[in-house]
Amino acid sequence: MSVSTVDTVRYLTPRRFTGVAAALSLAAAVTVVATALIGPESIDLRAAVRGTSVDHVILFQIRLPRILLGLVVGGALGVAGAALQALLRNPLAEPHIIGVSGGAALGGVLTMLLVGRTPVTELSLQPLGSFAGALLATALLVRLGTLRGHLHPYTLLLAGVVCNAVAGALIMFLNSIADFYQAHGIIFWLMGSLATQSYALVGVVGLYVAGGLAVLGWQARTLNVLSLGDEEAWHLGVDVDRARRIAFAGSALLVGAVVAVSGMIGFVGLIVPHVARLLLGSDNRLLLPASFLAGGMALVWADTVARTALGATELPVGVITAMCGGPFFVWLLRRQAR
Amino acid sequence: MTVRMGAIGRIVAGLLVLLAAAPPAEAMRIVSLAPSITETLFALGAGGEVVGVSTYCDYPAEAKAIDKVGTFLAPSTEVIVAKRPDLVIAVPSPANRAPVQALERVGLRVLVVDPDTVGGTEQSIAAIAAAIGREAQGRALWQRIAAAVAGVRARLEGVARRRTLVVVGHTPLVGAGRGVFLDELIEMGGGSNVAADAGGQWPHLSLEFVLAQAPEVIIDTSVGMEAEPQAAAFWAPFPTLPAVRDGRVYLYADFALLRPGPRLPEALETVARFIHPERFESRP
Repeated sequence: MSVSTVDTVRYLTPRRFTGVAAALSLAAAVTVVATALIGPESIDLRAAVRGTSVDHVILFQIRLPRILLGLVVGGALGVAGAALQALLRNPLAEPHIIGVSGGAALGGVLTMLLVGRTPVTELSLQPLGSFAGALLATALLVRLGTLRGHLHPYTLLLAGVVCNAVAGALIMFLNSIADFYQAHGIIFWLMGSLATQSYALVGVVGLYVAGGLAVLGWQARTLNVLSLGDEEAWHLGVDVDRARRIAFAGSALLVGAVVAVSGMIGFVGLIVPHVARLLLGSDNRLLLPASFLAGGMALVWADTVARTALGATELPVGVITAMCGGPFFVWLLRRQAR
Repeated sequence: MTVRMGAIGRIVAGLLVLLAAAPPAEAMRIVSLAPSITETLFALGAGGEVVGVSTYCDYPAEAKAIDKVGTFLAPSTEVIVAKRPDLVIAVPSPANRAPVQALERVGLRVLVVDPDTVGGTEQSIAAIAAAIGREAQGRALWQRIAAAVAGVRARLEGVARRRTLVVVGHTPLVGAGRGVFLDELIEMGGGSNVAADAGGQWPHLSLEFVLAQAPEVIIDTSVGMEAEPQAAAFWAPFPTLPAVRDGRVYLYADFALLRPGPRLPEALETVARFIHPERFESRP
């Protein structure tokens, strides 16, 4: 079931784009407001807007930055997944499955061990290290998946699974030689969490993500052409290798930035673009922004469960996304096979 | 004249009694994010001012009734803020960095103490006592601890050191390495830590290494997490180990006692009794 054969081909008119974008933006705004009102503590809204109360602190300094971070991280994962699925013409492509996240995590762990983790490196070197890891992993994957000048998506997908396993092994190796405290930090980071961060950090991650989004948005039309197949794309005048390199780099930037701040959060990049494509068709000019908004919403709701379900005991959000996403994906696969 | 002095004396004495009996200006609201901190606060007499503790804070028994604000690795910032604490006390951990930074950002007073060693315990008791305005109680507490520790050490006078291994987990086999609290307890308790040179604070040990080091005493605290027969069966196949041969493998489930804090003397005595039971048979 390659992406290009999805039968819901509908023309993308400016009106349809605006309609979908407006609906999803509205839903995202509702999500932000609604989840901001949910938490282990109940807050008094009137006190919260007044500015000096505990309720104000909880709403604006604890919940809101976390929700915004969730939007950015979930959105980036959704877009990266959508782009990789188009690039590889395979709906199973996802940053976690094909090893891009593994590379990002390895880059992040190496950075953490080599330069330590301070508030400054968290904003600067940590995302760069993860980006470098994601980029190297992607480059390696493309190299491994290219035989006689042609990219074979299935070969690349399998190489990705292997890359992921090797990256995991290298992380375990680094973890076992790191000292106790560092090892603990690495494990917790890998579990994937959206612990409350400063607005500054949300802003910095937002900048990296905006860069990645700009690259992929610019390539959205080319992605459409690429998903027809290399030959077809070439005949339509696309420099296939160049376009693919740019799109892979854009995805790597997205994945690197979000893995650096929130660790390994799975399934968002797999399911969100998948569902979006079922509902909206496979035109990437619509699919990419839709995946951003839907991915952000999905992760924010998952994180709301993670921080609320057990009261004061916070769950890693990766646990929630995997527990909801796994069965959902299986259901989707079986439904499509029928 | 003497009557007058007596009257003044009585007044002064009365004032002193009043001052001593008066409660501190206003009770604080303290959140503790680690078991050792909670124990310290109770030992300082500030247990009644603790309004939030970590999930793992289980001692003293009163601590269990206090509202939980999350594990000490992943505390819930929001629940802590809602407690309106005057002071949050945490231990350093890479896993709780983000929440602790968030607490500082919202303007809460956060004290980070590192009671990971005997020296660290003394410092963190002093730091906590100072932060809650109970310096005198802090000094008195440490004096009591130091006196009790000296009492245990007196029993071990001139003892021959026994090669000792403290194990905290089986899969993987993890020992207490150099510099950690348990390492200090072994040394103070008349043992020498065979895992001290295995590398790192919590070294992963190979069985080969353990067999080569031939510990005379093994204190296995992994039974807190595993079944006791399993832990016993773990060591049984190695009768060449002096500890196994001489029946000096001790399965000890109350790992919580061995945390650095006000129960330092009890922790030391527990370890010392395992290493040199003969020194504790009779009361001196």
